[in-house]
Amino acid sequence: MTHIPRIGIGGPVGSGKSMLIERLVPMLAEKGYSVSIISNDVISKEDADRMRSNLATNRGLLPENLVIGLATGGCPHTAVREDPSMNLSVIEEMESKHPDLDLIIIESGGDNITTTFSPILADYFIYIIDVAGGDKYPRKGGLGIESCDLLVINKIDLAAMVGADLEIMKKDAEKIRNEKPFELINCKTDEGVMKVTEHIIHNVLLDSAPKSAITQKV
Amino acid sequence: MYMNIDEIEQDLGVMQLSDSFFPTGIFATSNGLEFLFTEKKIQGMTDLIGMIRINITQQIGPSDCVALGNVFDSASKHDFDKVIEADSIVFATKPIKEIRDASVRSGVQLIKCVTEFVKDDKILNQYQKHIIKNKVHGIFPVAFAICCNALKIKKEKSMMMMLYGFTVGIVGAALRLGLIQHFEGQKSIHSIKPIISQAIKEFSNKSLLEMWQFAPQMDIIQMSHEKMDSKMFIT
Repeated sequence: MTHIPRIGIGGPVGSGKSMLIERLVPMLAEKGYSVSIISNDVISKEDADRMRSNLATNRGLLPENLVIGLATGGCPHTAVREDPSMNLSVIEEMESKHPDLDLIIIESGGDNITTTFSPILADYFIYIIDVAGGDKYPRKGGLGIESCDLLVINKIDLAAMVGADLEIMKKDAEKIRNEKPFELINCKTDEGVMKVTEHIIHNVLLDSAPKSAITQKV
Repeated sequence: MYMNIDEIEQDLGVMQLSDSFFPTGIFATSNGLEFLFTEKKIQGMTDLIGMIRINITQQIGPSDCVALGNVFDSASKHDFDKVIEADSIVFATKPIKEIRDASVRSGVQLIKCVTEFVKDDKILNQYQKHIIKNKVHGIFPVAFAICCNALKIKKEKSMMMMLYGFTVGIVGAALRLGLIQHFEGQKSIHSIKPIISQAIKEFSNKSLLEMWQFAPQMDIIQMSHEKMDSKMFIT
Protein backbone atom coordinates (compact mmCIF):
# COMPACT_ATOMS: atom_id res chain seq x y z
CA MET A 1 0.00 0.00 0.00
CA THR A 2 1.21 3.53 -0.80
CA HIS A 3 2.48 5.47 2.20
CA ILE A 4 1.10 8.98 2.01
CA PRO A 5 3.14 11.52 4.00
CA ARG A 6 1.37 12.62 7.18
CA ILE A 7 1.62 15.65 9.41
CA GLY A 8 0.22 15.72 12.92
CA ILE A 9 -0.93 19.06 14.27
CA GLY A 10 -1.41 19.27 18.03
CA GLY A 11 -1.90 22.02 20.57
CA PRO A 12 -4.15 23.34 23.30
CA VAL A 13 -7.85 24.04 22.81
CA GLY A 14 -8.32 27.33 20.92
CA SER A 15 -4.69 27.69 19.84
CA GLY A 16 -5.68 27.69 16.17
CA LYS A 17 -5.10 24.12 14.94
CA SER A 18 -8.15 24.05 12.67
CA MET A 19 -7.56 27.62 11.52
CA LEU A 20 -3.96 26.79 10.61
CA ILE A 21 -5.20 23.86 8.52
CA GLU A 22 -7.76 26.12 6.85
CA ARG A 23 -4.90 28.45 5.87
CA LEU A 24 -2.40 25.76 4.88
CA VAL A 25 -4.67 23.74 2.61
CA PRO A 26 -5.37 26.56 0.10
CA MET A 27 -1.63 27.35 -0.08
CA LEU A 28 -0.79 23.70 -0.71
CA ALA A 29 -3.67 23.37 -3.19
CA GLU A 30 -2.41 26.45 -5.05
CA LYS A 31 0.84 24.60 -5.59
CA GLY A 32 -1.07 21.55 -6.84
CA TYR A 33 -0.84 19.33 -3.77
CA SER A 34 -3.80 17.13 -2.98
CA VAL A 35 -4.55 16.99 0.76
CA SER A 36 -6.94 15.19 3.06
CA ILE A 37 -7.76 16.01 6.69
CA ILE A 38 -8.56 13.86 9.73
CA SER A 39 -9.85 15.95 12.60
CA ASN A 40 -9.79 14.34 16.05
CA ASP A 41 -12.36 16.25 18.01
CA VAL A 42 -12.70 16.15 21.78
CA ILE A 43 -16.43 16.60 21.95
CA SER A 44 -18.01 17.44 18.60
CA LYS A 45 -17.66 17.26 14.84
CA GLU A 46 -17.71 21.04 14.66
CA ASP A 47 -14.11 21.51 13.50
CA ALA A 48 -14.42 18.82 10.84
CA ASP A 49 -17.78 20.19 9.70
CA ARG A 50 -16.39 23.73 9.47
CA MET A 51 -13.29 22.66 7.52
CA ARG A 52 -15.43 20.52 5.23
CA SER A 53 -17.74 23.44 4.59
CA ASN A 54 -15.00 26.08 4.13
CA LEU A 55 -12.45 24.05 2.20
CA ALA A 56 -14.49 21.43 0.36
CA THR A 57 -18.10 22.58 -0.09
CA ASN A 58 -17.49 26.30 -0.58
CA ARG A 59 -14.08 26.36 -2.24
CA GLY A 60 -13.77 22.93 -3.83
CA LEU A 61 -10.16 22.53 -2.68
CA LEU A 62 -10.70 18.88 -1.79
CA PRO A 63 -13.60 16.42 -1.94
CA GLU A 64 -16.01 16.53 1.04
CA ASN A 65 -15.33 12.89 1.91
CA LEU A 66 -11.65 13.69 2.46
CA VAL A 67 -12.40 15.70 5.60
CA ILE A 68 -13.08 13.14 8.31
CA GLY A 69 -14.08 13.80 11.92
CA LEU A 70 -13.03 11.25 14.52
CA ALA A 71 -14.28 10.97 18.12
CA THR A 72 -11.60 10.29 20.71
CA GLY A 73 -13.51 9.04 23.74
CA GLY A 74 -12.42 12.01 25.81
CA CYS A 75 -8.76 11.04 25.42
CA PRO A 76 -7.32 13.15 22.59
CA HIS A 77 -3.69 12.36 23.44
CA THR A 78 -4.37 8.60 23.59
CA ALA A 79 -5.88 8.68 20.10
CA VAL A 80 -2.72 10.10 18.55
CA ARG A 81 -0.06 8.65 20.82
CA GLU A 82 -0.56 5.50 22.95
CA ASP A 83 -3.32 3.97 20.87
CA PRO A 84 -3.54 5.52 17.41
CA SER A 85 -5.48 2.47 16.08
CA MET A 86 -8.58 4.35 14.97
CA ASN A 87 -6.56 7.05 13.19
CA LEU A 88 -4.37 4.41 11.53
CA SER A 89 -7.45 2.53 10.44
CA VAL A 90 -8.88 5.63 8.73
CA ILE A 91 -5.49 6.40 7.15
CA GLU A 92 -5.19 2.87 5.77
CA GLU A 93 -8.63 3.27 4.18
CA MET A 94 -7.50 6.56 2.64
CA GLU A 95 -4.23 5.12 1.39
CA SER A 96 -6.10 2.28 -0.21
CA LYS A 97 -8.88 4.37 -1.79
CA HIS A 98 -6.93 7.56 -2.60
CA PRO A 99 -3.32 6.65 -3.39
CA ASP A 100 -3.06 9.86 -5.44
CA LEU A 101 -3.14 12.03 -2.31
CA ASP A 102 0.05 13.99 -1.59
CA LEU A 103 -0.51 14.62 2.11
CA ILE A 104 -2.70 13.68 5.06
CA ILE A 105 -3.10 16.23 7.85
CA ILE A 106 -4.11 14.80 11.23
CA GLU A 107 -5.41 17.33 13.73
CA SER A 108 -5.36 16.17 17.33
CA GLY A 109 -8.11 17.13 19.73
CA GLY A 110 -7.24 20.16 21.86
CA ASP A 111 -5.00 18.99 24.65
CA ASN A 112 -2.24 19.92 27.06
CA ILE A 113 1.45 20.68 26.60
CA THR A 114 2.49 17.03 26.82
CA THR A 115 0.85 16.08 23.53
CA THR A 116 3.01 14.22 21.04
CA PHE A 117 2.16 12.09 18.02
CA SER A 118 3.08 8.43 17.69
CA PRO A 119 5.84 8.21 15.06
CA ILE A 120 3.84 5.47 13.33
CA LEU A 121 0.97 7.92 12.88
CA ALA A 122 2.69 11.16 11.84
CA ASP A 123 5.91 11.67 9.89
CA TYR A 124 6.11 15.30 11.00
CA PHE A 125 4.69 16.96 14.10
CA ILE A 126 3.64 20.59 14.32
CA TYR A 127 2.77 21.92 17.77
CA ILE A 128 0.83 25.16 17.91
CA ILE A 129 0.39 27.54 20.84
CA ASP A 130 -0.88 31.11 20.93
CA VAL A 131 0.24 34.29 22.65
CA ALA A 132 -2.92 34.54 24.73
CA GLY A 133 -1.55 31.84 27.02
CA GLY A 134 1.17 34.34 28.04
CA ASP A 135 4.78 34.82 26.94
CA LYS A 136 5.89 32.21 29.51
CA TYR A 137 4.46 29.43 27.31
CA PRO A 138 7.59 28.49 25.29
CA ARG A 139 9.79 28.81 28.39
CA LYS A 140 7.65 26.35 30.35
CA GLY A 141 8.37 23.70 27.73
CA GLY A 142 6.57 20.38 27.76
CA LEU A 143 6.89 17.45 25.38
CA GLY A 144 4.85 19.09 22.62
CA ILE A 145 6.81 22.35 22.57
CA GLU A 146 10.20 20.69 22.96
CA SER A 147 9.93 17.62 20.76
CA CYS A 148 7.83 18.77 17.79
CA ASP A 149 9.42 19.20 14.38
CA LEU A 150 8.01 22.71 14.06
CA LEU A 151 6.69 24.96 16.82
CA VAL A 152 4.13 27.53 15.70
CA ILE A 153 3.21 30.54 17.83
CA ASN A 154 -0.14 31.89 16.65
CA LYS A 155 -2.20 35.06 17.17
CA ILE A 156 0.83 37.36 17.30
CA ASP A 157 -1.51 40.28 16.55
CA LEU A 158 -2.92 39.85 20.06
CA ALA A 159 0.44 40.05 21.84
CA ALA A 160 0.19 43.71 22.84
CA MET A 161 -3.40 43.27 24.01
CA VAL A 162 -2.61 40.39 26.35
CA GLY A 163 0.72 41.79 27.52
CA ALA A 164 2.83 39.11 25.84
CA ASP A 165 6.33 40.08 24.74
CA LEU A 166 7.08 38.43 21.39
CA GLU A 167 10.83 38.96 21.81
CA ILE A 168 10.76 36.94 25.04
CA MET A 169 8.76 34.22 23.30
CA LYS A 170 11.28 34.11 20.45
CA LYS A 171 14.31 33.96 22.76
CA ASP A 172 12.76 31.27 24.95
CA ALA A 173 11.66 29.26 21.91
CA GLU A 174 15.19 29.40 20.49
CA LYS A 175 16.61 28.26 23.80
CA ILE A 176 14.17 25.46 24.56
CA ARG A 177 14.00 24.23 20.97
CA ASN A 178 17.74 23.85 20.73
CA GLU A 179 17.97 25.08 17.11
CA LYS A 180 14.85 23.27 15.95
CA PRO A 181 12.57 25.61 13.95
CA PHE A 182 9.66 27.73 15.13
CA GLU A 183 7.49 30.29 13.37
CA LEU A 184 5.41 33.22 14.58
CA ILE A 185 2.16 33.52 12.68
CA ASN A 186 -1.21 35.20 12.51
CA CYS A 187 -3.77 32.91 10.90
CA LYS A 188 -6.26 35.78 10.53
CA THR A 189 -4.01 37.59 8.04
CA ASP A 190 -1.85 34.68 6.82
CA GLU A 191 1.25 36.39 8.22
CA GLY A 192 3.94 33.72 8.53
CA VAL A 193 1.70 30.90 7.29
CA MET A 194 3.57 30.59 3.98
CA LYS A 195 6.71 29.82 5.97
CA VAL A 196 4.88 26.91 7.65
CA THR A 197 3.78 25.73 4.19
CA GLU A 198 7.39 25.87 3.02
CA HIS A 199 8.53 23.79 6.00
CA ILE A 200 5.93 21.16 5.01
CA ILE A 201 6.87 21.13 1.35
CA HIS A 202 10.58 20.91 2.15
CA ASN A 203 10.59 18.58 5.15
CA VAL A 204 7.55 16.38 4.58
CA LEU A 205 7.02 16.37 0.81
CA LEU A 206 10.79 16.61 0.25
CA ASP A 207 10.29 19.32 -2.39
CA SER A 208 8.74 16.78 -4.74
CA ALA A 209 6.20 17.85 -7.35
CA PRO A 210 2.52 17.08 -6.72
CA LYS A 211 1.55 13.54 -7.77
CA SER A 212 -0.98 14.94 -10.24
CA ALA A 213 1.78 16.87 -12.03
CA ILE A 214 3.95 13.76 -12.22
CA THR A 215 1.03 11.70 -13.59
CA GLN A 216 0.30 14.32 -16.26
CA LYS A 217 3.93 14.29 -17.45
CA VAL A 218 3.90 10.50 -17.73
CA MET B 1 2.03 -25.75 43.41
CA TYR B 2 4.28 -23.69 41.17
CA MET B 3 3.28 -22.62 37.66
CA ASN B 4 5.50 -23.88 34.88
CA ILE B 5 7.10 -21.58 32.33
CA ASP B 6 4.42 -22.26 29.68
CA GLU B 7 1.63 -21.39 32.10
CA ILE B 8 3.37 -18.20 33.14
CA GLU B 9 3.82 -17.18 29.51
CA GLN B 10 0.17 -17.93 28.73
CA ASP B 11 -0.94 -15.81 31.67
CA LEU B 12 1.35 -13.00 30.56
CA GLY B 13 -0.39 -13.22 27.17
CA VAL B 14 -3.73 -12.91 28.97
CA MET B 15 -2.52 -9.83 30.80
CA GLN B 16 -1.05 -8.27 27.66
CA LEU B 17 -4.17 -8.62 25.50
CA SER B 18 -6.53 -7.72 28.36
CA ASP B 19 -4.65 -4.58 29.29
CA SER B 20 -6.45 -1.34 28.44
CA PHE B 21 -3.00 -0.17 27.27
CA PHE B 22 -3.20 -2.68 24.40
CA PRO B 23 -3.87 -0.60 21.26
CA THR B 24 -7.18 -1.51 19.65
CA GLY B 25 -9.01 1.82 19.91
CA ILE B 26 -11.66 0.43 22.26
CA PHE B 27 -11.06 3.31 24.72
CA ALA B 28 -12.98 5.55 22.30
CA THR B 29 -16.18 3.46 22.34
CA SER B 30 -19.13 3.62 24.73
CA ASN B 31 -21.58 1.26 22.96
CA GLY B 32 -24.43 3.73 23.23
CA LEU B 33 -23.79 4.79 26.83
CA GLU B 34 -22.98 8.33 25.72
CA PHE B 35 -26.40 8.70 24.11
CA LEU B 36 -28.16 7.44 27.26
CA PHE B 37 -26.11 9.81 29.38
CA THR B 38 -26.70 12.84 27.15
CA GLU B 39 -30.44 12.14 27.05
CA LYS B 40 -30.44 11.70 30.84
CA LYS B 41 -31.83 8.19 30.49
CA ILE B 42 -29.20 6.60 32.69
CA GLN B 43 -28.47 7.52 36.28
CA GLY B 44 -25.61 6.05 38.25
CA MET B 45 -24.06 2.70 38.87
CA THR B 46 -27.18 0.51 39.02
CA ASP B 47 -28.36 1.62 35.59
CA LEU B 48 -24.84 1.20 34.23
CA ILE B 49 -24.63 -2.39 35.47
CA GLY B 50 -28.05 -3.06 33.93
CA MET B 51 -26.89 -1.73 30.59
CA ILE B 52 -23.72 -3.85 30.60
CA ARG B 53 -25.78 -6.91 31.60
CA ILE B 54 -28.10 -6.46 28.62
CA ASN B 55 -25.14 -5.93 26.32
CA ILE B 56 -23.50 -9.15 27.48
CA THR B 57 -26.56 -11.40 27.74
CA GLN B 58 -28.43 -10.15 24.66
CA GLN B 59 -25.74 -8.83 22.30
CA ILE B 60 -22.11 -9.82 22.56
CA GLY B 61 -22.66 -13.03 24.58
CA PRO B 62 -24.84 -14.84 22.02
CA SER B 63 -23.03 -13.34 19.01
CA ASP B 64 -19.39 -12.35 19.66
CA CYS B 65 -18.75 -15.05 22.28
CA VAL B 66 -20.22 -17.77 20.07
CA ALA B 67 -18.09 -16.53 17.16
CA LEU B 68 -15.01 -16.43 19.37
CA GLY B 69 -15.59 -19.99 20.61
CA ASN B 70 -16.08 -21.34 17.09
CA VAL B 71 -13.11 -19.51 15.63
CA PHE B 72 -10.97 -20.64 18.52
CA ASP B 73 -11.88 -24.29 17.87
CA SER B 74 -11.42 -23.86 14.10
CA ALA B 75 -8.06 -22.13 14.53
CA SER B 76 -6.86 -24.94 16.81
CA LYS B 77 -7.83 -27.46 14.09
CA HIS B 78 -6.33 -25.27 11.31
CA ASP B 79 -9.75 -25.10 9.64
CA PHE B 80 -9.52 -21.71 7.95
CA ASP B 81 -12.77 -22.08 5.97
CA LYS B 82 -14.71 -22.11 9.25
CA VAL B 83 -12.85 -18.97 10.35
CA ILE B 84 -13.98 -17.21 7.17
CA GLU B 85 -17.54 -18.39 7.73
CA ALA B 86 -17.57 -17.06 11.31
CA ASP B 87 -16.15 -13.72 10.15
CA SER B 88 -18.98 -13.37 7.68
CA ILE B 89 -21.76 -14.45 10.06
CA VAL B 90 -20.74 -12.32 13.04
CA PHE B 91 -20.37 -9.31 10.73
CA ALA B 92 -23.96 -9.85 9.64
CA THR B 93 -25.21 -9.96 13.24
CA LYS B 94 -24.20 -6.33 13.81
CA PRO B 95 -27.01 -4.22 12.37
CA ILE B 96 -25.66 -0.87 13.59
CA LYS B 97 -23.08 0.58 11.20
CA GLU B 98 -21.16 2.53 13.84
CA ILE B 99 -20.76 -0.58 16.03
CA ARG B 100 -19.91 -2.79 13.04
CA ASP B 101 -17.28 -0.37 11.71
CA ALA B 102 -15.68 0.07 15.13
CA SER B 103 -15.54 -3.72 15.59
CA VAL B 104 -13.85 -4.16 12.21
CA ARG B 105 -11.37 -1.34 12.80
CA SER B 106 -10.41 -2.73 16.23
CA GLY B 107 -10.12 -6.26 14.87
CA VAL B 108 -7.89 -5.24 11.98
CA GLN B 109 -5.61 -3.18 14.24
CA LEU B 110 -5.45 -6.03 16.77
CA ILE B 111 -4.26 -8.43 14.06
CA LYS B 112 -1.74 -5.88 12.78
CA CYS B 113 -0.34 -5.41 16.26
CA VAL B 114 -0.11 -9.10 17.21
CA THR B 115 1.53 -10.05 13.89
CA GLU B 116 4.30 -7.63 14.87
CA PHE B 117 5.40 -10.01 17.63
CA VAL B 118 3.89 -13.42 16.77
CA LYS B 119 5.45 -14.57 13.54
CA ASP B 120 4.90 -18.31 13.45
CA ASP B 121 1.14 -18.83 13.64
CA LYS B 122 -0.30 -20.08 10.35
CA ILE B 123 -3.95 -19.08 10.96
CA LEU B 124 -2.95 -15.62 12.19
CA ASN B 125 -0.81 -15.02 9.10
CA GLN B 126 -3.52 -16.40 6.81
CA TYR B 127 -6.18 -14.17 8.39
CA GLN B 128 -3.96 -11.10 8.07
CA LYS B 129 -3.35 -11.84 4.38
CA HIS B 130 -7.09 -12.22 3.83
CA ILE B 131 -7.70 -8.86 5.53
CA ILE B 132 -5.17 -7.17 3.25
CA LYS B 133 -6.87 -8.72 0.21
CA ASN B 134 -10.33 -7.71 1.53
CA LYS B 135 -11.41 -11.35 1.60
CA VAL B 136 -12.51 -11.18 5.27
CA HIS B 137 -13.80 -8.30 7.38
CA GLY B 138 -11.36 -8.65 10.27
CA ILE B 139 -14.15 -8.23 12.80
CA PHE B 140 -13.07 -8.04 16.44
CA PRO B 141 -14.28 -11.32 18.05
CA VAL B 142 -12.78 -13.35 15.20
CA ALA B 143 -9.52 -11.42 15.31
CA PHE B 144 -9.43 -11.75 19.09
CA ALA B 145 -9.93 -15.53 18.99
CA ILE B 146 -7.15 -15.92 16.43
CA CYS B 147 -4.74 -13.80 18.47
CA CYS B 148 -5.54 -15.61 21.71
CA ASN B 149 -5.06 -18.96 20.01
CA ALA B 150 -1.74 -17.75 18.61
CA LEU B 151 -0.65 -16.79 22.13
CA LYS B 152 -1.78 -20.23 23.39
CA ILE B 153 -4.43 -18.78 25.68
CA LYS B 154 -7.29 -21.14 26.51
CA LYS B 155 -10.73 -20.65 24.92
CA GLU B 156 -12.65 -19.87 28.11
CA LYS B 157 -9.96 -17.43 29.19
CA SER B 158 -10.15 -15.73 25.79
CA MET B 159 -13.89 -15.31 26.20
CA MET B 160 -13.39 -13.99 29.71
CA MET B 161 -10.82 -11.48 28.43
CA MET B 162 -13.12 -10.23 25.68
CA LEU B 163 -16.08 -9.78 28.03
CA TYR B 164 -13.90 -8.20 30.70
CA GLY B 165 -12.39 -5.82 28.14
CA PHE B 166 -15.86 -4.89 26.94
CA THR B 167 -17.01 -4.25 30.53
CA VAL B 168 -13.97 -2.16 31.39
CA GLY B 169 -14.46 -0.17 28.18
CA ILE B 170 -18.00 0.84 29.13
CA VAL B 171 -17.08 1.48 32.77
CA GLY B 172 -14.18 3.66 31.57
CA ALA B 173 -16.58 5.59 29.34
CA ALA B 174 -18.94 6.05 32.32
CA LEU B 175 -16.07 7.44 34.40
CA ARG B 176 -15.03 9.90 31.69
CA LEU B 177 -18.63 11.00 31.22
CA GLY B 178 -18.87 11.65 34.96
CA LEU B 179 -21.71 9.17 35.39
CA ILE B 180 -19.91 7.33 38.20
CA GLN B 181 -16.82 7.82 40.35
CA HIS B 182 -13.77 5.57 40.45
CA PHE B 183 -14.81 3.33 43.37
CA GLU B 184 -18.18 2.78 41.73
CA GLY B 185 -16.28 1.81 38.57
CA GLN B 186 -14.57 -1.03 40.38
CA LYS B 187 -17.79 -2.01 42.18
CA SER B 188 -19.50 -2.17 38.79
CA ILE B 189 -16.80 -4.44 37.36
CA HIS B 190 -17.07 -6.67 40.42
CA SER B 191 -20.86 -6.89 40.04
CA ILE B 192 -20.51 -7.93 36.40
CA LYS B 193 -18.24 -10.90 37.17
CA PRO B 194 -21.13 -13.44 37.67
CA ILE B 195 -22.70 -12.22 34.41
CA ILE B 196 -19.41 -12.83 32.60
CA SER B 197 -19.00 -16.32 34.11
CA GLN B 198 -22.58 -17.21 33.22
CA ALA B 199 -22.10 -15.99 29.64
CA ILE B 200 -18.95 -18.09 29.26
CA LYS B 201 -20.80 -21.15 30.57
CA GLU B 202 -23.77 -20.54 28.29
CA PHE B 203 -22.10 -19.52 25.03
CA SER B 204 -18.70 -21.20 24.90
CA ASN B 205 -19.86 -24.32 23.09
CA LYS B 206 -22.66 -23.14 20.80
CA SER B 207 -22.38 -23.72 17.07
CA LEU B 208 -22.26 -20.89 14.55
CA LEU B 209 -25.85 -21.70 13.59
CA GLU B 210 -26.92 -21.00 17.16
CA MET B 211 -25.56 -17.46 17.05
CA TRP B 212 -28.07 -14.68 17.69
CA GLN B 213 -28.44 -11.25 19.19
CA PHE B 214 -31.66 -9.52 20.25
CA ALA B 215 -31.65 -6.20 22.07
CA PRO B 216 -33.87 -3.89 20.02
CA GLN B 217 -33.79 -1.09 22.58
CA MET B 218 -29.99 -1.19 22.62
CA ASP B 219 -29.99 -1.21 18.82
CA ILE B 220 -32.12 1.94 18.80
CA ILE B 221 -29.88 3.59 21.41
CA GLN B 222 -26.77 2.72 19.40
CA MET B 223 -28.41 3.99 16.20
CA SER B 224 -29.34 7.21 17.97
CA HIS B 225 -25.70 7.66 18.97
CA GLU B 226 -24.78 7.55 15.26
CA LYS B 227 -26.97 10.61 14.71
CA MET B 228 -25.61 12.71 17.58
CA ASP B 229 -23.99 15.96 16.45
CA SER B 230 -21.78 16.39 19.45
CA LYS B 231 -20.03 13.37 20.90
CA MET B 232 -16.91 12.18 22.65
CA PHE B 233 -17.14 8.50 21.69
CA ILE B 234 -17.03 6.64 18.36
CA THR B 235 -20.00 4.46 19.37
